[in-house]
Amino acid sequence: MNTILSYLKADASVSDYKYNEHKRESCELFFVKGKLETVRRTATCDKQVTVYVDHDGFKGESSFLVYPSTTEGELQEKITDAVAKAKLINNADYALPEKETGSFEVASNFADYELSALSEKIAECVFAANTLENADLNSVEVFVTRHTESVVNSRGIDKTQIRYSAMVEAIPTFNGETESVELYQQYNFASMDEATIQNEIAAKLREVKARAQAKKPEGELAGKVILNKLELSELFGNIAYNLDYSAVYAHASVFQKGDAIQKDATGDKFSITMSGEVEGNLQSNKFDSDGLTLGSIAIVEDGVATNYYGNNRFGQYLKEVPTGRLGCMTVAPGSVSAEELAAGPALEVVSMSGLQVDFYTDYIGGEVRLAYWNDGKTVTPVTGISITGKLSQVLSSLRLSETIAIHDGYVGPEKAILSDMQIF
Amino acid sequence: MAFSQYLDSKRADMKALVKELRKSFSYASVLGVDIRSSAIRADRNTSGINPGRDTECGFVVKMYNGNVFYEYSLDDISGDMTVLAQTIANGVFGAGTDTIPPVEVKDEPLVKSFARPHDFAEYTDATLLDFCKNQCATLLSKSEHILNAVVMMGLLEVSKLFISENRELDQNYTWVNGNMFLVYRDNDKVVQAYEPSYGNRIGDVLAAMPGKVERLLKKADLLTKAKPITPGVYDVITDPSITGLIAHEAFGHGVEMDQFVKDRALAKEYVGKYVASPICNMRDGAAATLSAASFFFDDDGVLAGDTQIIKDGILVAGLSDLASAAQLGTVPTGNGRRESSRRKAYSRMTNTFFEPGSDKLEDMIASIDHGYMLFETNNGMEDPKNWAIQCVAQYGIEIVDGKLTDNYVSPVVMSGYVPDLLKSITMISDDFKVIGSGSCGKGYKEWVRVSDGGPALKAKVKLG
Repeated sequence: MNTILSYLKADASVSDYKYNEHKRESCELFFVKGKLETVRRTATCDKQVTVYVDHDGFKGESSFLVYPSTTEGELQEKITDAVAKAKLINNADYALPEKETGSFEVASNFADYELSALSEKIAECVFAANTLENADLNSVEVFVTRHTESVVNSRGIDKTQIRYSAMVEAIPTFNGETESVELYQQYNFASMDEATIQNEIAAKLREVKARAQAKKPEGELAGKVILNKLELSELFGNIAYNLDYSAVYAHASVFQKGDAIQKDATGDKFSITMSGEVEGNLQSNKFDSDGLTLGSIAIVEDGVATNYYGNNRFGQYLKEVPTGRLGCMTVAPGSVSAEELAAGPALEVVSMSGLQVDFYTDYIGGEVRLAYWNDGKTVTPVTGISITGKLSQVLSSLRLSETIAIHDGYVGPEKAILSDMQIF
Repeated sequence: MAFSQYLDSKRADMKALVKELRKSFSYASVLGVDIRSSAIRADRNTSGINPGRDTECGFVVKMYNGNVFYEYSLDDISGDMTVLAQTIANGVFGAGTDTIPPVEVKDEPLVKSFARPHDFAEYTDATLLDFCKNQCATLLSKSEHILNAVVMMGLLEVSKLFISENRELDQNYTWVNGNMFLVYRDNDKVVQAYEPSYGNRIGDVLAAMPGKVERLLKKADLLTKAKPITPGVYDVITDPSITGLIAHEAFGHGVEMDQFVKDRALAKEYVGKYVASPICNMRDGAAATLSAASFFFDDDGVLAGDTQIIKDGILVAGLSDLASAAQLGTVPTGNGRRESSRRKAYSRMTNTFFEPGSDKLEDMIASIDHGYMLFETNNGMEDPKNWAIQCVAQYGIEIVDGKLTDNYVSPVVMSGYVPDLLKSITMISDDFKVIGSGSCGKGYKEWVRVSDGGPALKAKVKLG
């Protein structure tokens, strides 16, 4: 790093610079029908230099990657080339973050383990959950990664953080008398909690058994639709994307600050906060790739867009205070009780091919692989159906559960009730 | 530009490393990757020239010890190869775990260099940025309804070197994507519309893009008038993009043979049986056509294939990587692909398409009393075990009394059961197009560049 920085400092045509380094150490295990097939390790480091050139009232920038093979002569060539490219870029001026230093560690008990031992322990937890008769885990993949990220710029930013991530991809399968069915599960986490891992996998195994029993409904289904945390993270993530500085600046956003996202709300008015760090959240970071310290900001309050958020450059372009890239989304709980969720008629969606949320066309829907149909008296698993609705109408009447769940970068209502959806 | 000089300089070290590793492992190979990609773009207010997301330079070592496959990804191969081999071997873990049954990993002798001619040396970043800026300005000048226009060029030059005890393969090839994208507001509605162009030569892509401006504008305007579709089962005609999406999601993922090994693919039980209408033929292969996934050898060092998946409606073959073929006792088909040198190789699609039929598109449209013609892939999701399918089209145009109308619907979610959909195909057009601007994940990860396409299909599907 020091050689790279010394070349950047020595080049008078470089107005400013930024250096990002991302070291990844990972241990990965791949199982086929419970038996180990492949073991992987990675030991890699990405090094990226961004050169800024102030010219003609503009700020131009260009980036390049540095490899272990890059010689000092090649490094000088890359800097010269990047300067030439940056001079072609006529972007509006903005300031780089300044004068903050520090070494940080995002809290995780992963630090207590050696990575290979941790990946083996996670695999043990996954398979320990496999106690359901006729159920199996036909494919399991475990990834554990230690990330060491650094950012240094010419304005006095010099920060390093260590964080961890783990991912389990499991394919629970149920072998019925006439057919075998499966569901897909990707579970991301950043702290070791054996009970939670086992509960996640066990729940999915119970769901796949239900899929084996599920049938396509003979008649039309009419009732409320209940979505779970995965689909809710997708729905609220779409709203958050529309309030990101870069989307707003590019006119790609459908919302402006002050807009009512829930027009004429009849349900629970929702509130969304974006944060840099939330305990146990996989997306937690101490700073972003520009070196900005990450805090929190409420972007939606009571169904109204109140703030934008996002990176340094586009924040300044919009004359807002840059918040940095905030990866953790917290949605406030609502008013729906467990009793209300249990009341029919209702279709509780368990697994979809992928919830489609499109603000441009005012659409929400998708194909349902497994759901529970509650007719008010009995609950039966169903499949082979789709749901569709008008997004603006659904948001206005959306009702959120009192209980909270975590999924990837989402912390928020575990379930939500959608009225005005068509089941077909 | 020719094959990577850097990888060439590592050839001897890679051979020495394989030789050292072979002392401890029954199979060892090293794949060196040097990918240069750039993303050049201009929109209303900003522009940029930066490395594309595919850019990387690194190595992945693959070994087999009679029980388990081991892989080790690293940035460089240098120094004492005995020491490096020891470091890699010391990194092996997972001992004591129940493993897959022993397999035979073949390493047939072959030494060959491959290169596809291209024109990258004829263009500078400055020239391409100017093109993007001018094209963006042209778009913005066309209508006051355009909120933003983005013009992008994505350049990819791939060099890969594969070394095993008996094989020494290198390849160099290129791909170019050009995209024009509009954010457009009219009729109290904001829409997004795009037009892709692609090819292995920059000149071809630059020549194609200006001719698509009017089509893009017309599409954006009509999308602002699009209405939601009334959910139901309809006769549809698919454009080549949606035909490709069906090929990809309906059957492509289902015949990736690592899914056969895991008992994750229902297709395994249907080899030799009808899975589609008898007029359907479907292929996949890096060598099957020239498009975004046309390499010369895969990431396992297996030569590019051209696999007939469905012949006259009957499922005949699947797609495999080295490890899955070894476990199934079959010959690998050249479909072992990695997202990058940092990721595992899986059985993956390459260029996947339905073959042309004998019908005229106008006859196909004329045969429908009421239905839709579906256009442009948005996204899709596979379900190889249970053959559910979801394909999302950007838009559809209503067909009434055998004629296309100006009635647009958007978005259009097509769902159903794969065999029902494929067996409902009654007409296939005699034209053919492969869309080379796609990428594909396995589950929700492992993204690789793919293409798909084919002719227009007439089928009956559920739309919502």
